[in-house]
Amino acid sequence: MNELVPEGVFRFLITLATGGFSALWVVHDILFLARLRGKDTRDPLIRDQRFGYVMGIVMGLIGVVGALRYNGVV
Amino acid sequence: MVSTAAPTGASASVGVPHKRAVSPWNPANAVTASRFLTLPPLWWAVAHGHHQYATLFLLICGLFDKLDGLVAKIFDCKSAFGEVFDAIADGLCYGFGLILVAAYGWAPVIPVVCVLAFGGVNTILRFVYAARAGRTVNYKSYAMERIVGYTGYLIGFATSGTEVRYFFWAIVPVFAIILAHDVKRMLVDPVPA
Repeated sequence: MNELVPEGVFRFLITLATGGFSALWVVHDILFLARLRGKDTRDPLIRDQRFGYVMGIVMGLIGVVGALRYNGVV
Repeated sequence: MVSTAAPTGASASVGVPHKRAVSPWNPANAVTASRFLTLPPLWWAVAHGHHQYATLFLLICGLFDKLDGLVAKIFDCKSAFGEVFDAIADGLCYGFGLILVAAYGWAPVIPVVCVLAFGGVNTILRFVYAARAGRTVNYKSYAMERIVGYTGYLIGFATSGTEVRYFFWAIVPVFAIILAHDVKRMLVDPVPA
């Protein structure tokens, strides 16, 4: 009753959900950040988008490093 | 109580002001409300040390969060009440989850207190901003949207035992920076027209 799936499968799924999703998120926010190049930085909405994407990249990197730590790579 | 939805489809294109009444008793809000049903089993799983079950119930809660927007689109029942209800459900579910994992020693207490405090401050500031702006529009912050997602994940890290201390302590400075940015936007910067 304590386990739904074997420990190895659970670890793999967690790694996929954390590291995989975080890596995709980093790519997603880098692409969206790149699309903002040349836009008017005095526009508060553009500034907020830029800040949000940078923070998204930071959080994504935290996720990738966490997944690597979880698997003993880092 | 009836909320109004923005006009859609052909009726919106003819230029005639039209507001369609949307009952709060709609499928999207039912999905949002059903998230609360995952909290008792989550508590049971944490209390009995079932890490995988706790993670599963949290995952179901998160899936419902994503599903309600989709249901609102399919059934065309988007409303201002639905948006507020969704935000309230987010706060209650994530707040409950964070308190739960900290109470049972699955997560460090200090970062949990910080995250809850930051979230509380942000909620108060949104009310201040709404009063300042003179309208109840939802304050959109790209960074805050991302940190809310991270917070949901955070509970999952605790239930699954994934680098718990690392993830919980890492969110504190990031959240503090985002909150400082939003405080400036909400209290100092001019309100966009």
